[in-house]
Amino acid sequence: MSEPNLSERPPHDEAEELLPWYATGQLDEADRARVDAHLSTCASCRKQLSLERQLIDEFQAMSPEIESGWARLQSRLNAPVAAVQYSPTPPRPTRPNPFAEMWAILSRPAVAGLAIAQLAFVVAAGTILLSLSRPSYQTLGSAPAPTSANMIVMFRADATIEDVRRSLDAAGASIVDGPSLADAYLLHVAPQRRATALAKLQSDDNVQLAQPIDGARS
Amino acid sequence: MSWSGILQRPKAEEARAAAPDDRELIARVSSGDLQAFERLYRLYQPRLTRFLTTLLKRPQLIEEVLDDTMMVVWQTAGNFRGSSKPSTWVFAIAYRKAIKARARWPDPVEEPDFDHRVSEEPLPDEELHQERLRGALLKAMDQLSPDHRAVVDLTYFHGLGYREIAEIVGCPVDTVKTRMFHARKRLKQAMSGSLVDWL
Ligand SMILES: [Zn+2]
Repeated sequence: MSEPNLSERPPHDEAEELLPWYATGQLDEADRARVDAHLSTCASCRKQLSLERQLIDEFQAMSPEIESGWARLQSRLNAPVAAVQYSPTPPRPTRPNPFAEMWAILSRPAVAGLAIAQLAFVVAAGTILLSLSRPSYQTLGSAPAPTSANMIVMFRADATIEDVRRSLDAAGASIVDGPSLADAYLLHVAPQRRATALAKLQSDDNVQLAQPIDGARS
Repeated sequence: MSWSGILQRPKAEEARAAAPDDRELIARVSSGDLQAFERLYRLYQPRLTRFLTTLLKRPQLIEEVLDDTMMVVWQTAGNFRGSSKPSTWVFAIAYRKAIKARARWPDPVEEPDFDHRVSEEPLPDEELHQERLRGALLKAMDQLSPDHRAVVDLTYFHGLGYREIAEIVGCPVDTVKTRMFHARKRLKQAMSGSLVDWL
């Protein structure tokens, strides 16, 4: 019996190294026979072989040239659209409506995934926007329905409809719009009850966030 | 078998059956056959673009190196001795050109952030997982050296053996094997990482 050749590498190491080309069918007869023999005795290499096949599938399906081309084009899509003329008629000048804008933001699917702290920031930013634009808001006269809202509230995800109704009743608030995708409601509270309603909602266990949105300070 | 039968075959199949192999095309290119060169270009352009995209980050550079590579093929087709496969010869030219180009124009510093690719649209679990997995693999590839990326792409996408790869990148076969071994470790980590995210 011949002694095992010590200068040779362990069969496992050798086979493991060759697995990618075994999987793609690129080994010559001798290499393939060695890997075959080892695979029949090594569960670890058999497991790795299935990973190799998965990697081959992924790389075949992947198109870095499309990814890089798309990234390049996308950066142009995200550029300011001011230069692009979509409609043949010039757009009608519209009065800024911060309510509608903020509500539109809160209704976006992306916002639904935001953490409560991030939402609080969105709402706070909206409130500042509102207070800045307050003079023009006051001249609106016959305001659309959402502008009667003066508070925004978000309930805990596990709050039932009954919970929501009870909380709103207790605060003396009525729903103006909602729920948005982020589970936010726009509320109207009589101005003289504003401070107490806000305090009630903010201490309510079912409420995650309650904030005035008409810019007035309580 | 009748010749008329062959001539009446559908066009695509006819084109494939009648397509001269790369070896013949290169021989014709060496005698200045522009038509043969165009066919060779059409044959190699997609594969070379893919290969160069894994090596270079600047899109303009990819185009430039692609053109340079094909110009060398046009000018030196007569030097092709046929001891290796034509694809090995062409890819080796592209690899050397890419290395030189990268030395002149290093990769842009900011890394492309593949995380942004994950869409905000709700996707079925399976699709979401697929997208995350692909994103994780692209990111892992991005963190490998260009030399490692070349070996990975030539193995998994282009389906080349380690000897051909060694010839293309100009290194010993053992280096190809160890580069591949290292790269696979990273890619598998990325794969299992994306699975953990998903669960
Ligand atoms: Zn093994």
